[in-house]
Amino acid sequence: MDPVSLELPHTLRGPQATAGYGPTTRTTQPIVTGTSVVAFKYKDGIMMAADCLASYGSLARFRNENRLMKVNETTVLGVSGDMGDFQHMKHKLEDVMTHEYDMDDGQALGTKSVYKCLSNIMYGRRTNINPLWNSFIVGGVDGGERVLGYVDLYGTTYMADSLATGFGKHLAVPILRRRVEGRADEITEEEAVAIMDDCMRVLLYRDCRAFNKLRRAKVTAQGVEISEPYSLATNWSYAESIVGYGV
Amino acid sequence: MFRNQYDNDASTWSPQGCIFQVDYASEAVKQGTAVVGLKSKTHVVLVAVKRSPSELASYQKKIIRIDDHMGIAVAGLTSDARVLSNYLRTEAMRSKMVYGRALPVGRAVSAIGDKAQTNTQEYGRRPYGVGLLVIGHDDTGPHLYEFSPSGIVSEYYGYSIGARSQSARTNLERNFERFEELSLQELVVQGLRALRDTMPQGKQLDSMNTSIGFVGMDTKMTILDGDGTQPYLDQLDEAEAMDTE
Amino acid sequence: MTSIGTGYDLSVSTYSPDGRVFQVEYAQKAVDNSGTAIGLRVKDGVVLAVEKIKHSRLLVPQSNRRIMTAGKHIGVASAGWMSDTRHLVKRARDEAHNYHSVYKADIPAKIIAERMGMYVQAYTLYSSVRPFGVSTILACVDKDGPQLYMVEPSGQFVGYRGCAAGKGKQVAKTEIEKLKLEELTVREAVKEAARIIYAAHDEAKDKLFELELSWVCAESGMLHAHVPQDVLADAIQHAERSLDEDDDDEMEDEDL
Repeated sequence: MDPVSLELPHTLRGPQATAGYGPTTRTTQPIVTGTSVVAFKYKDGIMMAADCLASYGSLARFRNENRLMKVNETTVLGVSGDMGDFQHMKHKLEDVMTHEYDMDDGQALGTKSVYKCLSNIMYGRRTNINPLWNSFIVGGVDGGERVLGYVDLYGTTYMADSLATGFGKHLAVPILRRRVEGRADEITEEEAVAIMDDCMRVLLYRDCRAFNKLRRAKVTAQGVEISEPYSLATNWSYAESIVGYGV
Repeated sequence: MFRNQYDNDASTWSPQGCIFQVDYASEAVKQGTAVVGLKSKTHVVLVAVKRSPSELASYQKKIIRIDDHMGIAVAGLTSDARVLSNYLRTEAMRSKMVYGRALPVGRAVSAIGDKAQTNTQEYGRRPYGVGLLVIGHDDTGPHLYEFSPSGIVSEYYGYSIGARSQSARTNLERNFERFEELSLQELVVQGLRALRDTMPQGKQLDSMNTSIGFVGMDTKMTILDGDGTQPYLDQLDEAEAMDTE
Repeated sequence: MTSIGTGYDLSVSTYSPDGRVFQVEYAQKAVDNSGTAIGLRVKDGVVLAVEKIKHSRLLVPQSNRRIMTAGKHIGVASAGWMSDTRHLVKRARDEAHNYHSVYKADIPAKIIAERMGMYVQAYTLYSSVRPFGVSTILACVDKDGPQLYMVEPSGQFVGYRGCAAGKGKQVAKTEIEKLKLEELTVREAVKEAARIIYAAHDEAKDKLFELELSWVCAESGMLHAHVPQDVLADAIQHAERSLDEDDDDEMEDEDL
């Protein structure tokens, strides 16, 4: 028997649940959240970035969180949305990777497989009307091929050369369309960093849940590298000149 | 027949540390006609002799496709093999559904090995009365495994199970070091040579009773029966003619 | 075994008049018929070694593993029935996973040994099942340092500095007792383990065999892993050389 069994509304089943606490409800809103993730393909692999903030509503609650997870030697996962749900998913993926390690048969789980597995979990959860409140970007190099895929709480999936979640969908994607789409094979690491910093800077200026302490990950044939937290140079002096937004 | 008090069920050890019911189940494998499996660097092949219960009946199926990358050959109780092949197919599909990847062959055979082990430990069950040769191709290349009623699975360069399979194994042991570089066609012929050694006096391999299966790097699991086997049988004859010269 | 054939040895749920459970002893017999497995706990890690007896030259080397991993950090070596071993390794993986999902920490050696012991013991209680025909050796490094346990078919589990099971266990035990285990490094222990397996191997009974070696140490990131190819090759070379030296010594003795 599970030693940790607490009687909480969501653990109750059947008439008891309806009698004592009203109808059974599932997650209807995220609580502690991370904002955008931005990712795109470049010449040597894929690059991804996310800041280190986990907000509690509008409060900048946890400012040293890592929202980029190294799944295995070829795959990285970027997360936005509910951090608790992410941690649950993280443990799930770790279990999968532990199983792979135990098999010890030289058949590594590739990025595509990780993406497929993650998508199945997300779609399964939403179909049970009990979603994990996240948007994920999976990136990596699978058999020499760069892989970048998106999946969210609805189980929606798509793959593209450049991707973003959250506010990044509105603010970073236009930049990526212009600077990455169709050029993924030419972009050097240096340029990729510049593009990424520009995206993250715009997000920082406009997205009130963004934070100027972020990490960048790259996956190349050599493996996964996640940077230490760093900050972007910003210039707020012309903020005064912006008028007409209800100020 | 010999009889002792320790051989009634699979949940009793003999004083020597044997489980007779498992040993007896292994005998059932020898009741089936022989199958031979062998692999090169790129491909893995199964060849089998089919048996027909009467002249009016068709031949019993010996090679079963599991997935595009995997197949099995059967010796022993065919109905037990069907249970196992169904299970393998389910597992192969699950791997495709969940991870989008072909089920690694070693994991597939381990899965049926684990399933078979349970039948050797609990009262009221009997071990599977069938041996399988499992072939498949995955990220680590071509593989050939033997599954036995004890639940033990082993990987081989070449192997044979079923009636008079010892002769085929002797043939394989003599030649297996050369298999690595062989082409698919040569590999099939080499397999047929080993298989021929298991034929009883006065019986020949022909297109009616021979079954061939193979899979490889760029080759999906393929099963040849009837006329499809004729070109290979012709080559076998040619090779034999060369030998006798 | 005077009680053979008296009917007291047909079920695990029956005691003999002198208080023995013969079915467990018979299961132990299956272990004693198997290739030797040893474990060495040394100052900076644990080493596992198995003599994998091969009944055919057609077997693919370094496949058909006898040493397996449960939950990344635990190594399981075994002597006895291979299919029973797989069953127990699966159980060990489930236990490791279960513990981790509750506590978000790796299962300590003592706990997994205890849980495996309980599980194996349950198969000595009911007439509907038979005991496991394997002794499993568990190796890991946890917060208390390197750990080594052996679980026997009876369900008994004991912590060891060095242990052995299978055909050559007597020879192996004698050799292990000569070692100063608390002073050895894993690098040295790997060589010793190889030497002991080669010494315990009975050339007259089983011609073909393969050495399997694994470790848990800093070099493997405190995870359980088979030793790298070069380390394995070195160890085998060492084992063969010391076996030759022993032969030479014997010949000299004969000359005298």
